[in-house]
Amino acid sequence: MVSLQSFDPSRSNTLRPYLNAVRATLTAALTLENFSSQVVERHNKPEVETSTSPEVLLHPLVVSRNESERVLIEPSVNSIRLSIAIKQADEIEKILCHKFTRFMMMRAEGFVILRRKPLPGYDISFLITNFHSESMLKHKLVDFIIQFMEDVDKEISEMKLSLNARARIVAESYLSTVSIGSSSDFVSYVSEFLP
Amino acid sequence: MILLESHSVIINDVLTDRFEKASRADIQFVDYDNVRFHLSTPSSKTQLLLSMGIQCWPDLIKYGAREHLQSEYEGYLLPQDQTEPEYDVSLVIDLEKLPGTTEERSALISKLAHLKSTAMASPFLSAFAEQSTLQANYKEPAGAQQADLAPAGEKGELKIVKYREEEAIYIQASHDRVTIVFSTVFKEETDKVFGRVFLQEFVDARKLNALQNAPQVMYSNREPPLEIRHLPGLKNGEDWGYVTFVLFPRHFANPSQALATINRIQLFRDYLHYHIKCSKAYMHSRMRYRVAEFLKILNRAKPEVATEKKTATGRSFRTR
Amino acid sequence: MSRQPPLVIDNGTGYTKMGFAGNSEPSFVFPTVIATHQSASAGSSNASSGAGGGGRAPPPIASKPGHLASKRGIEDLDFFIGDEAVANSKTYSLHYPIRHGQIENWDHMERFWEQCIFKYLRAEPEDHYVLLTEPPLNPPENRENTAEIMFESFNVQGLYIAVQAVLALAASWTSSKVNERTLTGVVIDSGDGVTHTIPVAEGYVIGSSIKHIPIAGRDITYFVQQLLRDRGESAQIPPEDQLRVAEKIKEDYTYVCQDIVKEFKKYDTDPYKYFARFAGEHSVTGRKYDLDVGYERFLAPEIFFNPEIYSSDFLTPLPEVVDTVIQTSPIDVRRGLYKNIVLSGGSTMFKDFGKRLQRDVKAIVDGRIAGSEERSGSHMKSSGVEVNVISHKRQRYAVWYGGSLMASTPEFYNVSHSRVDYEEYGPSLVRRFSVFGSAV
Repeated sequence: MVSLQSFDPSRSNTLRPYLNAVRATLTAALTLENFSSQVVERHNKPEVETSTSPEVLLHPLVVSRNESERVLIEPSVNSIRLSIAIKQADEIEKILCHKFTRFMMMRAEGFVILRRKPLPGYDISFLITNFHSESMLKHKLVDFIIQFMEDVDKEISEMKLSLNARARIVAESYLSTVSIGSSSDFVSYVSEFLP
Repeated sequence: MILLESHSVIINDVLTDRFEKASRADIQFVDYDNVRFHLSTPSSKTQLLLSMGIQCWPDLIKYGAREHLQSEYEGYLLPQDQTEPEYDVSLVIDLEKLPGTTEERSALISKLAHLKSTAMASPFLSAFAEQSTLQANYKEPAGAQQADLAPAGEKGELKIVKYREEEAIYIQASHDRVTIVFSTVFKEETDKVFGRVFLQEFVDARKLNALQNAPQVMYSNREPPLEIRHLPGLKNGEDWGYVTFVLFPRHFANPSQALATINRIQLFRDYLHYHIKCSKAYMHSRMRYRVAEFLKILNRAKPEVATEKKTATGRSFRTR
Repeated sequence: MSRQPPLVIDNGTGYTKMGFAGNSEPSFVFPTVIATHQSASAGSSNASSGAGGGGRAPPPIASKPGHLASKRGIEDLDFFIGDEAVANSKTYSLHYPIRHGQIENWDHMERFWEQCIFKYLRAEPEDHYVLLTEPPLNPPENRENTAEIMFESFNVQGLYIAVQAVLALAASWTSSKVNERTLTGVVIDSGDGVTHTIPVAEGYVIGSSIKHIPIAGRDITYFVQQLLRDRGESAQIPPEDQLRVAEKIKEDYTYVCQDIVKEFKKYDTDPYKYFARFAGEHSVTGRKYDLDVGYERFLAPEIFFNPEIYSSDFLTPLPEVVDTVIQTSPIDVRRGLYKNIVLSGGSTMFKDFGKRLQRDVKAIVDGRIAGSEERSGSHMKSSGVEVNVISHKRQRYAVWYGGSLMASTPEFYNVSHSRVDYEEYGPSLVRRFSVFGSAV
């Protein structure tokens, strides 16, 4: 299991309560029941998406860790929409985050609860309906969301790290071939590359 | 493959094959930087015609490309008026008059496969030559440390090679160095960001001890560097990057060294873009892995027993 | 500035054919195989290596930047493709990213393309359109993934994904027998591993009628080898060269006969005229040897027409399979299909293969027509069905050639998906299938 153990402890100081808050809110909100549409006969629509009947919508809630990291939970009688804003410190993280969420949403087919488009202002959204919560284990669904939030940060920072490392190696390899002052220099340089 | 090769694999393969056994050919292919090739046998099987069309030929010819090719491909190069139409340079290889030994033949093949890089080398070579004359004429200003001082001496002609539609190489010699500026454009948001990371590393890499001898690299995006700022029509904007290489005489001290440097430098843009693309491919494989992992976690939420009784058409009996 | 020629890349299960549009032959033909360095990446992953357990290994994670000594982080560039991969198979491990015509491992495929384009074709993909091929009945998800890689990783200018069978049809336009350019026909595509018969109607593959025949190039080689052994000729050949010699004989000496009994008689009455001599040389010792090439000259390709001489589990002759394929297709296209049976792939290159196939299919069709005429009490008269088997010069790399042909028409730029469109619609763009040449 991908777990917290390898996670940087200094960051988890604030991460823990944040994730706990999301977990508690989400668990509480996941009380969904079958609810037929009041507008279209014999249809069953996620009310949070259609929002045609205001009386079945509950108060949306934002859990926020800081300006850039927050979660919006919009519950309703038969569905719940959860949108996540992922931390993006600079333009590299921004682009990586965008690429990653896009890549995942492309494969929304497999992730049954993933929305194909995020809500404006957020990076990724999930839509859980009563059918999902009936056919899947509720606490495991919550686990998945929490795990996702944890791992996505980690993944993005790792990607950034590896991008920097690649760039460094690429630059060095290139310059080393131009820099050859004498052939002995090159040999000593190459030998450094060898284990 | 980290470094790009500077020869054309197709020329190499086809010539190796044809040197063994002559046969007809009519192949069109390309190389980096808008270079087109046409390899054909217009008259007979044994007369191979290799033509190259290169976008920046008008620029190259100003800097002695024709003369350079003439000396490099003595006996093969066709005169200007016999060049194949729509192409800039034509070489004829007579398969009946090949050198005898295998070594000589493979040397010839390798030389021909480097046709593009040889042609592109001419402005660099002429800049190197210019530098040495400037250096000879240059009088050391008393007391000034030339390394710190901005080159105040006389400057060579600023050579512009428009190697791609919108991108160009600027080469200028001065008494102690040759400055090469590349302009490059990033066509996509991701490329722009990745490109910036890469270029920054090019600048930083020189801080390493092992790379002290490397050419100095400077990089600016948006603003063109000082050397070329006076030129009209320069683009600046988010999508543009300008990279400056400063070559010192030690980088082109002897001909083989100079050649190696030129072969590297002229592929800089392709090298950069190649690696940006490879990084994106690498990111893709990471993301594929991560998405598969997430899917595993999500699937844990599905209860084990999901075997429903189904009808032959795949419908289930479950009522809702 | 004239437009750069599009890249045409045909990734098959066995071989990848690639080159530039407008040429008559691919510039590169090599095995679709990638050799990666496994040992290097095994130790380097740290953080996420505990995840999952089993399955494939996570991509290597770069070490902290700043150590020149460490080359970690770009192991994914340490690989070879094609012939070089095979040559390095001792120190690297080989992977075949395509199985049964479909891409199985996207990580490997993406890197395979990386080297195809940058090392071999030496083209900046930003300047080129790309034509790729796909097998019939490729799932749309695969096309989407392909588009995602081509547009996002490589920033190609435009992309067109063509069905291999359709390209093979287009390639047949070069034949002098073809006077109307149609995209309706049956494609018989026979490579090394398997032979497909694919009916295509107006550029669309009739998926339900596709038939596969488990007899192809490799089987013919084995059969030649077996015949040589039966006649005792193979005693001359060093054991390690047997397969190679059989392949050579298959390629250089065989042909399709029109009547097997007559052919045997011909050989028996005048063996000196028909028996050929094959001269070989031992690849290690250089010892010279030669052997007689006899009946296998016409028997080898005969296994398509009389499979029982080779195999005991697949017994339907090729002409019969072709007839079945057409008969199971919608009735209104059958005439068009009979009229245009196109050959593609190396194992259809035997001399007179097309002629024999045409004769046999014609015989089946005529037999059926005669039968139904008789059953109608000779009241109905059929005008007859035209059967044409088209064989042409570009048969060996027909799919690639068809791609090259299509990509060099101005229309190509209209039907392919451009980067601008991709940026607007995303990968789902390629689900929309635009048929090429339907207007031609």
